[in-house]
Amino acid sequence: MDILAYLAQGFVVATEPQHLMLALIGCALGTLIGALPGLGPVNGVALMIPLTFNFSLTPTAAMILLVSIYYGCMYGGRISSILLNIPGDEPAMMTTLDGYPMALKGRGGEALGLSGVASFVGATVATIGLTLFAPLLVGFAIRFGPAEYFALFMLAFATIGGVTGGSLSKSFVAACLGLLLGTVGIDAVSSVPRFTFGWFEIYDGIDFIVALVGLFAISECLVFLEDIRHSNKPTMKLGSAIPGMRTAWTCAPTITRSSFIGFIAGVLPGAGAALGSFLSYTLEKRWLGRRGDFGNGDPRGVAAPEAGNNAAAGGALIPMLSLGIPGSGTTAILLALLLSMNITPGPLLFEQQPEMVWGLVAALFIGNLMLLVLNIPLVGLFARVLRAPGWFLMPMVVMVAFVGVYSLSNSAFDLYMMLGFGVLGYVLRKLEIPTVPVVLGLLLGGQMEYNLRRAMAISGGDWDILWNSGISVGIYAFAITLISAGLVYGWLVRQRRIDAG
Amino acid sequence: MSEQDIFTERVSGVIGDRIAGAVLLALAVFAWWYSYTFTTGFMQPVGPGVFPRLVSIPLGAFSLYLILRPGLNQRWPHRAALLRQAGALLLLGVYAAFLGPWGFLPTSLIALILLIRLFGADWKPSLVSGGVLTLSLYALFEFALGMPLPDMPGLNW
Repeated sequence: MDILAYLAQGFVVATEPQHLMLALIGCALGTLIGALPGLGPVNGVALMIPLTFNFSLTPTAAMILLVSIYYGCMYGGRISSILLNIPGDEPAMMTTLDGYPMALKGRGGEALGLSGVASFVGATVATIGLTLFAPLLVGFAIRFGPAEYFALFMLAFATIGGVTGGSLSKSFVAACLGLLLGTVGIDAVSSVPRFTFGWFEIYDGIDFIVALVGLFAISECLVFLEDIRHSNKPTMKLGSAIPGMRTAWTCAPTITRSSFIGFIAGVLPGAGAALGSFLSYTLEKRWLGRRGDFGNGDPRGVAAPEAGNNAAAGGALIPMLSLGIPGSGTTAILLALLLSMNITPGPLLFEQQPEMVWGLVAALFIGNLMLLVLNIPLVGLFARVLRAPGWFLMPMVVMVAFVGVYSLSNSAFDLYMMLGFGVLGYVLRKLEIPTVPVVLGLLLGGQMEYNLRRAMAISGGDWDILWNSGISVGIYAFAITLISAGLVYGWLVRQRRIDAG
Repeated sequence: MSEQDIFTERVSGVIGDRIAGAVLLALAVFAWWYSYTFTTGFMQPVGPGVFPRLVSIPLGAFSLYLILRPGLNQRWPHRAALLRQAGALLLLGVYAAFLGPWGFLPTSLIALILLIRLFGADWKPSLVSGGVLTLSLYALFEFALGMPLPDMPGLNW
């Protein structure tokens, strides 16, 4: 019953007025960002990180704010999926399939209410899972040495993007590029400048936050500029969201199944919420067979992906907090925030700063309740944001990015760097090379190299140390299994596409 | 973005992927070669050049694979879109240069009006919303969030 005691302690931390306030702001802001077409949790959290640095928040407070934004985005993503047929973020993509048909039939409000409840259940299941399983994983990881950590980083890179069905070779290219960019700057061990070419601005390395905001926020604006005639306004009647709660009751079995599937998808490193919603939708469709009317506005087709993606979002926090390896793009960014505040997530975090970890977990429970209130009775307010034109929203995003990055060090160089990364991110997206592995490489490269060098220092230069322990061999085997699973899964998806014509 | 959007239009990436592969391969070769200039005075089992070299091997290999087996790309932008993007980048570059010396209010006002215009609004809504947005962002950052914004020269705002 240790966990309950810790959790009680966490609630004490989470209910401090400042933390409650930040959770509320984060939930509202997250729902708003998630609802905007094109802006998802990755962009939302990336955009907010420079701002949190300016408030000089404590790490606990900053994490509560950002994780609330993260959860909020997952809720908000469904709003534009259902009302506009445009996913607000990628995990919300599956929600369009049945959500939009429901809205066309005038059941938009009901769909929003139903998906709100489904999101709540999914996120709650995941948060309970986080409470139960993260400490278990920590107990296991406490025995890790530098060689095992190096293996863990290899696992993170081997699996990011691999499981989601994208091109495996392209995500590896992206990860290597990120790792190489991560070596720029003065080497911490030998004080030798690497790849700096005499530019003193990058002696401290490439500022992670600058790269992040460029890769996500600025590149998003460039994508938006491709086609500025976005004229998708919700025209149909919304209706009240309250009846959706009754519908949710009839969908309870679907929601339960999807929450568990999504949670498992989220815990797997590299998978993330998009896989969670995809798997829940397709498995539920198969489970119901002829009893379902998926694709034509079946309420269960709305409940399944929403429960799944919210559960996956919570599940992805488990490897991030307990092992220090991110399970998805957004958790990679949250990890970056912790690292830049000189906090290393992983088993030691649970021992050294239990008030932070458990405060965060408790804040997630509270934030979930807030999100339920924000997203069912007040959903109409957020739906109204969708009426704001893109030419108003996107410049605002650019301004927030500029002010946020500029205020970090008051240097124009950072802004140019951000624009440069914006172009890089845009080109990579056009090439279908995922940007998240770049971020991950840039972020984890330093830690990975540090662990490699420590392991080698221990062994006196013998490379065998890297695969000499059972744990590291197990991790490598797990990585290979996940890659193979990703390859098989990608092959199946391609087969189905060919079958579908 | 990490996950692929199954709804976006995709085109053959033969040219795009090969160019990208060539650039990245060149980068990998350069990084390998350049990392030999990282020398330290004392011996370590793993010196500062080893990790970059370790990374440049898979980078080179996967770039080569990209050249040999190109995949799919998203539809590349048309000329009008490219011009808009170049215009936006130029505008933001100039904005970045003048933000510090000229202060937040005048530079942001001009940058926002032009940016909103680039995003497809007419002059009148651009002027109005540019002004409103500048003032509200100023109020938000300066007063509500207490972030120090660059002041106009000679003035305290």
